[in-house]
Amino acid sequence: MTTPLLSIKNLRVKFRLDKHNSFEALKGISFNVMPNQTVALVGESGSGKSVASLAVLGLLPKENATVDKASSIEFEGKNLLTFSNAQKRALRGSEISMIFQEPMSSLNPVFTVGFQIEEVLKEHKGLSGKAARDRAIALLTEVGIPEPAIKIDSFPHQMSGGQQQRVMIAMAIACEPKLLIADEPTTALDVTIQKQILDLIAALQKKHNMAVLFITHDLAVVGDIADHVVVMRNGEIREQGAAIDVFSTPKDDYTRALLACRPVVDSRPKRLPVIDDFMAGRADAMRLEQRSRGVKDSDPVVLEVKGLCKDFVSREGLFGKRVFHAATDVSFKLRKGKTLGLVGESGSGKTTVGLTIMKLHDATKGEAWFEGKNIFAMSEKEFLPYKKRIQIIFQNPYASLNPRFTVGQIICEPMIIHCIGANAEARAKMAFELLAKVGLPEMSFYKYPHEFSGGQRQRIAIARCLTMKPDILICDESVSALDVSVQAQVLNLLQDLQDEFGMSYIFISHDLAVVKYMSDEVMVMSEGNVVEQGDSDALYAAPKAAYTRKLLDSIPRGLVATVG
Amino acid sequence: MTTAAINPNNPALGIERSPGLWSLAWKRLKADRIAVVSMVIVIAFLLLSFAAFFGLIAKDWNKEIAINYAPPTLFKDSHKPAADLRPGAATDAGPAVDGAAAKPEFINDRDPLREVIIELKAQLGQSTGAADSGIKIVDPLADVLTELRKQLGRTGDGAANVVEAKRLDYLPFGADKWGRDVLAKVIQGSETSILVGFAAAIVATILGTVLGAFAGYYGGKTDDALNWFYSIFSSIPYILLVLAIAAVLKQKGVVTVVLILGLTGWTSIFRLVRAEYLKHKARDYVRAANAIGASNLRRMFVHIFPNISHVVLVQLSLHVVLFIKSEVILSFLGFGVPVDTVSWGSMLNESQNELILGYWWQLAAATVFMAVLVTAFSLFTDALRDALDPKLK
Amino acid sequence: MLAYIIRRLWQILPTMAGVILLIFFLFNVVGGDPAYLLAGKISNPEQIANIRKQLGIDEPYWMQLLIFVKQVVTFDFGASWSTNEVVSQIFATRLPASLMIGIPLLILETIIAVCIALAVAYVRGSFTDRAAMVTCTVAQSVSILVYIIVFQYVLAYKFGWFPVQGWGNGFLENLFKFAALPILIALVVSLAPNIRLYRTFLLDEVNQDYVRTARAKGLSENRVMFVHVLRNASIPIITNLMIQLPGLLVGLFLIERFFSVPGIGREVILAVERSDFPVIKAVTVYVALATMLANLAADLLYKAVDPRVELK
Repeated sequence: MTTPLLSIKNLRVKFRLDKHNSFEALKGISFNVMPNQTVALVGESGSGKSVASLAVLGLLPKENATVDKASSIEFEGKNLLTFSNAQKRALRGSEISMIFQEPMSSLNPVFTVGFQIEEVLKEHKGLSGKAARDRAIALLTEVGIPEPAIKIDSFPHQMSGGQQQRVMIAMAIACEPKLLIADEPTTALDVTIQKQILDLIAALQKKHNMAVLFITHDLAVVGDIADHVVVMRNGEIREQGAAIDVFSTPKDDYTRALLACRPVVDSRPKRLPVIDDFMAGRADAMRLEQRSRGVKDSDPVVLEVKGLCKDFVSREGLFGKRVFHAATDVSFKLRKGKTLGLVGESGSGKTTVGLTIMKLHDATKGEAWFEGKNIFAMSEKEFLPYKKRIQIIFQNPYASLNPRFTVGQIICEPMIIHCIGANAEARAKMAFELLAKVGLPEMSFYKYPHEFSGGQRQRIAIARCLTMKPDILICDESVSALDVSVQAQVLNLLQDLQDEFGMSYIFISHDLAVVKYMSDEVMVMSEGNVVEQGDSDALYAAPKAAYTRKLLDSIPRGLVATVG
Repeated sequence: MTTAAINPNNPALGIERSPGLWSLAWKRLKADRIAVVSMVIVIAFLLLSFAAFFGLIAKDWNKEIAINYAPPTLFKDSHKPAADLRPGAATDAGPAVDGAAAKPEFINDRDPLREVIIELKAQLGQSTGAADSGIKIVDPLADVLTELRKQLGRTGDGAANVVEAKRLDYLPFGADKWGRDVLAKVIQGSETSILVGFAAAIVATILGTVLGAFAGYYGGKTDDALNWFYSIFSSIPYILLVLAIAAVLKQKGVVTVVLILGLTGWTSIFRLVRAEYLKHKARDYVRAANAIGASNLRRMFVHIFPNISHVVLVQLSLHVVLFIKSEVILSFLGFGVPVDTVSWGSMLNESQNELILGYWWQLAAATVFMAVLVTAFSLFTDALRDALDPKLK
Repeated sequence: MLAYIIRRLWQILPTMAGVILLIFFLFNVVGGDPAYLLAGKISNPEQIANIRKQLGIDEPYWMQLLIFVKQVVTFDFGASWSTNEVVSQIFATRLPASLMIGIPLLILETIIAVCIALAVAYVRGSFTDRAAMVTCTVAQSVSILVYIIVFQYVLAYKFGWFPVQGWGNGFLENLFKFAALPILIALVVSLAPNIRLYRTFLLDEVNQDYVRTARAKGLSENRVMFVHVLRNASIPIITNLMIQLPGLLVGLFLIERFFSVPGIGREVILAVERSDFPVIKAVTVYVALATMLANLAADLLYKAVDPRVELK
């Protein structure tokens, strides 16, 4: 057996929160990275995976982070924690380099990409002038930037997100590092771009004989590329082993839950198994019970949208205007008790459609027929009684609840506005019932949103909508910001509520697997246009449009073969 | 609001209520030692000015209770008789004027006062006479000021009004030109400054917040109109605008000063509040409020306002400091509070002339009081900002 | 770019109209009848009527407004009420003195404040940083009046290092002899707020993701601070500088007054004391115009230093 390139032993990191409190982010983790190996560090938010990667580079914030003295991080046999600042610096960017989650903010906005790449070459290789520039162009070529000789002089904001991440990668491999740390490098990117970046990292790893430490929250992403998987939770390692073993025969319940609770395109269990199900040992049975989807012509239509268009106009030049077509000619029928999935990449206009139906934007053109009336033609006042019939749950549960209101106030407010409930007491009683329904304890009523986790907040938002007993619920990326295990719980809740109340959902998401799991019908959007729409099973099985096929091909396949 | 909705019979009521964001901020503030100290100082000043306002202390600031320019004394015995003091003060000033005269190159050749200075040399020793001419050396506007003061009835009536009261043995800050207790004056000055500072800051904050809220929330035509209004006020430099308004407003008084400062100082609050409303109206929680049918006004003031109120509070606090400083300058120039009200600014104005004669205590008293209050208030504002928005730190 | 400039200049018109209206409202409507002020104590009705005719304020308001607009457009505000000096002449003769203090001040102040702010941002969170910030707060709390009175008394009057006041004829004489102490005092007063401001600008940048990237590249702390952070922080610093530019025109009115510097600031105070409306009106209108042009220049400069900005 060869000696490991990087060996982390008993790493403990503590963060000081204030004078009296501290928080232990890493509780003694140990793992190795072998040369030329790709190790995936997988965990949900708060697992400490990013802390571990920053600790390797010595980039933890000096003010409040302390690494335990007994810990060691050995790189080629030398303990990095004992290195002086100058020694660490010599290592960073040359032997060990790193790419980050947000390529836009991780690149310096006021320097050209060429400057930023040449800077590394100057620092570690002593290259300058033409030599550095030629090398930078070669690097840009290698990471697949078109017209590198021109692009080298552009600023980061002039590039797309995928190109920015390629520049980050070019910068990271500039000095042929032995270890590349990739901290959620594809999380901020669209699914098609994500696939390209993953392929690029895998190719470069082989070509340059690097080791890669790949940090992600999404097990599915690492399925294709990892040799070794380390699963973390709450600062501890739950399971580690060869990727094939972890995926095929996970030993830890948490790992098994993580693998199973993510919806996949070719299976649709009635409920998604969550961690509790694994603990109770009923998960395997659940997976067999499948749900069938689809609409029949006999299902009543609740909402019919015809030719919805939404333009945004901005001023340009002296008298000029620029019109941006956010959504063009969108038509669909939403049937009672059914779910319409709306899927697309960022900028596809799917959220615009959702907000326009709610009249949070005014439609530029088109009609939306609800109970025989065109709601787009209504005034704000005429629409008010219909508002409670159509409700929306937003993406970011941290932003959609007013932080200055208690949960009780949040849930009771719509009842006050729409005069639901006889008096304050009756409203409070109803609020308690709804809290129980969405699975929150009664005492939540008196608490503020900041005391809840993301999943719990999304439940509060759902309870708020339920007060009005809506006919239509628009879920705008409602589970996208949640960890997969929590996402499964919220999806189950939404499904239960639909079964109970017969609401119709418009389910908007960029995640094809989630949309497939939830929807009876699917509509694929790209750049404001509807690319394809139809029955979800049929569409996923035999996509007609090239764009849909490209989207489906980009879904990480790592898990599909092993689970389901 | 709906807090009243809690059923008193509900078993859950036994639960301790969770701390809201305000009480969390208050907790953070209390943990900050500098914040607590500065808060105590600010409160002490507030109490002092309330007491002065209701005439509990420093009521008799206008009475002559000591000899002219009595130096600071803490004990009876150190209180020298007037006859000893005055020549002493005069000789103090003597060499200084000598120095100025001996180096005429430092005085502009065209200076009309050149002769006066040389002449003065001979006159020195007659202390009271030297005092007034001495002022001229430093300040060519002394004439204008004396004239101004005469117009306002200070030298004439003011001096005449000074009542011979019992002489105090205890004068920690000495006495002024008319033998009035500087300590009482400086306390009166605190009252004026704090009153003007707070009142003007409240006027400016309300104006800026309401206009900013409407501009930011409604956007479109409302925003254009209010922005036009804002750009008019903000394109004229602040101090120029203040002076221009001071020039046209004839009657002087505390209310005038408050209006001048309040009506000119709202622009930066407007800009900030407008930006906050622009940011918040696009936030999901406001969209959610729209989705559940909350009206525009409800969204503006019930939903958004509590979320930006910390910005407003910090601005209010900043503007109190700004306006206290502005009031001092206005009063110094004679555009501020009327002469029958004492202000730190008018004290500084008097002390400018006294300094050449070596009477430093009025200057020191006004400077120290103002610096302590403003420092404490600024530190408190910083701590308040950190406590309300821990992300900023 | 050109379209942008034209559009911005076009937008200045309504604001300018607003400024003119505001000034007109203040001086012609609220300000009352200046004839009584001018005529002084020996006013008889005939004299007053005569003065009113001279000033054109016997005309209806709309006519007065037209006259005012004409004055603004033609740069002809007539003569000062108290000295009879032509207003444009006042501008021309007072501006050099204000600029002689203002320009060196702005240059020195920026260089020194940026250096100190960089130093404290470099050691952010340390005792030095906190001590420097408290010092700045205390220094800011002392009134500018106290600085002027004390510095003038001690440095000029007692020690005789500088002239107590006055102004000469020669450029160098003015700059090094008469302007030196005013600049020094203004520098002391303006350093504290600027250091605090620039420190905030720098610290805003220090926490950005790209700084982490720069460190991950193995760059030295100096390079991170002086190349990456400073370059980004220079954007708000330059904007702040541009905003201060119109202030040069008004000068440092208190300092000019104390040191008898024949600048625009002192002229404004004299005008306010004497209710010399034409001078105040002219200064206010043109300084407002200069402010708007400076703001436009600031935005253009913004484009030059920040590649992300698109002028629309």
